[in-house]
Amino acid sequence: MTVSNRLRTALSFSGPFVIFAALWQAASAWLAPDPTMFPGLGAIAYALVRLSAGPELWSNLGISLARNYLGLALAIVAGVSLGSCMARYPIANGFFSPLVGATYSLPKTALIPLLLLWLGVGSTTDTTAVFLSCLLPIVVHSYHGAKDTPRVLLWSAAALGTPDRALLPRVMLPSSLPQIVTGTRIALGFSYVVTIAAEMIASKSGIGKLIFVYGGSGAYDYLFATILVIIVVAYLVDQAYVRLTATLLRWHHWE
Amino acid sequence: MKVIRYVVRVLLYFYPLVLLAIFWEFIARSGLVRPLFLPPLSALPETAEHLYREGALLAPLAISLYRAFAGLALALLIGSVVGIAMSRSRALRWFAEPLVAVAFPAPKLAFLPVFVLWFGLGHLTKILLVAFSCVFPIIIGFYNAANAVSPVLIWSAQSMGASELNILRRVLLPACVPALFATIRINLPVALIITFTAEMIVGGKGLGDDLTYAQRMFDTPTVYVYILVMLAIGLLVDNVILWTRRRVLGWYEENEPGDRV
Repeated sequence: MTVSNRLRTALSFSGPFVIFAALWQAASAWLAPDPTMFPGLGAIAYALVRLSAGPELWSNLGISLARNYLGLALAIVAGVSLGSCMARYPIANGFFSPLVGATYSLPKTALIPLLLLWLGVGSTTDTTAVFLSCLLPIVVHSYHGAKDTPRVLLWSAAALGTPDRALLPRVMLPSSLPQIVTGTRIALGFSYVVTIAAEMIASKSGIGKLIFVYGGSGAYDYLFATILVIIVVAYLVDQAYVRLTATLLRWHHWE
Repeated sequence: MKVIRYVVRVLLYFYPLVLLAIFWEFIARSGLVRPLFLPPLSALPETAEHLYREGALLAPLAISLYRAFAGLALALLIGSVVGIAMSRSRALRWFAEPLVAVAFPAPKLAFLPVFVLWFGLGHLTKILLVAFSCVFPIIIGFYNAANAVSPVLIWSAQSMGASELNILRRVLLPACVPALFATIRINLPVALIITFTAEMIVGGKGLGDDLTYAQRMFDTPTVYVYILVMLAIGLLVDNVILWTRRRVLGWYEENEPGDRV
């Protein structure tokens, strides 16, 4: 892509945001009965500058993201192990598949009050909540990915001398990577909701706690500035994830 | 005889759940864990009956379900219109595509304090937050479904004199029926989660509100009963959708992870 093409794409992509910002400003100026309840762009930008200068935003954001990605990482490790073992070994499948089926549709945030009771207020509760919520989508996708390994691949590997116990790590696991990537992206989107929910319900720190405090104390310009930061972070991480996995799995034919 | 064999098969399939229940009961009764953390499973039906008689089970459940379904219905209405319109209009596509792309991965729950500020603590906040959470995946689902319609079909309809409205009714809408089911199936759990969670955080009645209240009162059996009710509702709703889709969409082949686990 040439430079001018890139520039044109960027301009075309940002156009809608400019229009949206203008609409927001107009709504803030004319529609809102009370301007503090619907702060304009100037107030939000000023709050954003003040927030980025101090430690409050960054430290809380850092804590939340650490909880979030630790829970997600644990869920990937446990979910992929469990899902691929279920695909390979009928005994594991017979045991775990009813458990997965029964708990799949539980709204996982309902466990947060229970976790508070068991583990108390703090990072352990938040990380565990994220872990539990992210686990099942990854298990299910990893299971289906490993189950759908083409038989020809398994037969060829066996014919070329791959021992039985090596079929799972050497053939089924690589073959299920695209599905695991999809399941992890679903879990990624989910993880933020759970982190924020856990922090809003009971926590001493974190970005969810921060917006809740801003909302409760009437600092609405700070509230919107913080939400804007969350949206941007979630979008950038999602884009980076998609680009990275597309590069790593470029052998796969994505639909 | 057939019935007995069926029951035995079901029990054999669900043996891990039976084991789990026995394990739960054993741990709770053995005194290893305080009943404050884990009441015996056998104590829960009594709690459930008590809650039911006090009207603390069905009434909050009805409130939560009303909010979840109303929010989802609103999201379906807006999402289907925007999604199909995006596939027909270049200008709208230019405007909406980047906004949807940025809004889609954002955790919409972060807007909860804003919605409380604008719409209060009652039904409206929860319904709108559910709609806001569900509308972007629905837009994408309908946009993809309408876009996947072969242009040949639309050209044929046009050359035979179909108006834009007729193309919509005869070509685009039927092509979007599978997307309707897929988006409902994906977003109904989201709607339930957002409803329960918002109720848990800011209160304002509903099952989520009662759940956090019971937890703060250290009324653990009630907490467990509410969680099990939420689990049952999730299972029930998912199976109803699957059943309906099989009825309505027998012709449409679809396999997604999670259909059968």
